[in-house]
Amino acid sequence: MAKTPKLEARIFLMETRFQKMARREGGVARNDAIERAAVEIEKAEPGFYEWLDDGLRKLKRLIAEARPADSSWVEAANTHSRQLCETAGTLGFQLLSFIANSLCDVLDSIESGGNCNMESIACHIDALNLARQKSYRRLTPEQVPELTEGLRRIVERI
Amino acid sequence: MPNSARSQRSAATSPKMNLRDLVILVADASSYMSMLIHSMLRGFGANKVCEVRSSIQVLQVLSAQRVDILLCDARLPSLGGLKLTRAIRGKVDNEHRTIPIVIMSTDSSEMMIKQARDAGANMVIAKPLSPASLYDRLSWVAFHPRKFVDTATYFGPDRRFKIEGYPNGIGRRKGDKLIEVAEESGPALAQGDIDSLFSSVRTGLD
Repeated sequence: MAKTPKLEARIFLMETRFQKMARREGGVARNDAIERAAVEIEKAEPGFYEWLDDGLRKLKRLIAEARPADSSWVEAANTHSRQLCETAGTLGFQLLSFIANSLCDVLDSIESGGNCNMESIACHIDALNLARQKSYRRLTPEQVPELTEGLRRIVERI
Repeated sequence: MPNSARSQRSAATSPKMNLRDLVILVADASSYMSMLIHSMLRGFGANKVCEVRSSIQVLQVLSAQRVDILLCDARLPSLGGLKLTRAIRGKVDNEHRTIPIVIMSTDSSEMMIKQARDAGANMVIAKPLSPASLYDRLSWVAFHPRKFVDTATYFGPDRRFKIEGYPNGIGRRKGDKLIEVAEESGPALAQGDIDSLFSSVRTGLD
């Protein structure tokens, strides 16, 4: 059997400009940086609801116009729900993030050839609408066990 | 030592990261997510943050101006963050070939982490992000420069390293473990060791 040729490797130390500059005097200490970042995020939060409503509208439209023969809507819907999951999670809206992530699981399954069950998608959209309401926004998935379990069962069945 | 005392001591001795005048390129298709990352970076002291929505725009910015670090979503259209990383690392005459690249990903499965590592990414941050997770990983890239490896099949940060917590113990979590990695006998590292390493980095998140 022929021997695998030995790979030649060049290994060198590379200190980038980022590394040099980030270590300069005058930096921000970790705790201060995190506190300041939290304040900056808070300032951005009011725009979230508008963004969320727009995203939900787009999702609903995509799903309403979905045709079984054309699967392009699945990818677009998946992109919207993934962005919703990431953004809601980053802002600390755990329930919204959980539901959006569960919807991604459903859409991932459809994308990889699984059964396209529109009812399971509609359940997720309803759940997102519920979690968007003021009284639900700051809840965690554990605080609404019936909803959480219901969505888990839907995902398990697909 | 009680946790609060340890955290106070760590905060007092932790290196301060200075992001002022560093050009940070944030590549994410979501304008809102991108704005949140920008907000966090501003809180960290960054004043030169660029936002782009696609891999084509990343390449355009890289060819037009100096960029010091790239924060890139794994699903960035149209190439995706990993292909884009390979493209940046693979182009021999590219002045940004060694730029630190941090991949942000909702998918933190082992397979994805392996692929990011093999594409030449410096670090993977799990989404959703928190200011603490982002600060700790940027700080890790800043204060732990890694050697670069150039072979016929790979160009990127040395994949053989072990994590001993973030600088001065900052960011270290109860579940973090020291990882022993393979002997430095060649450019390749046993897959299992690298996977453990990245798993450890991920589970160290808040």
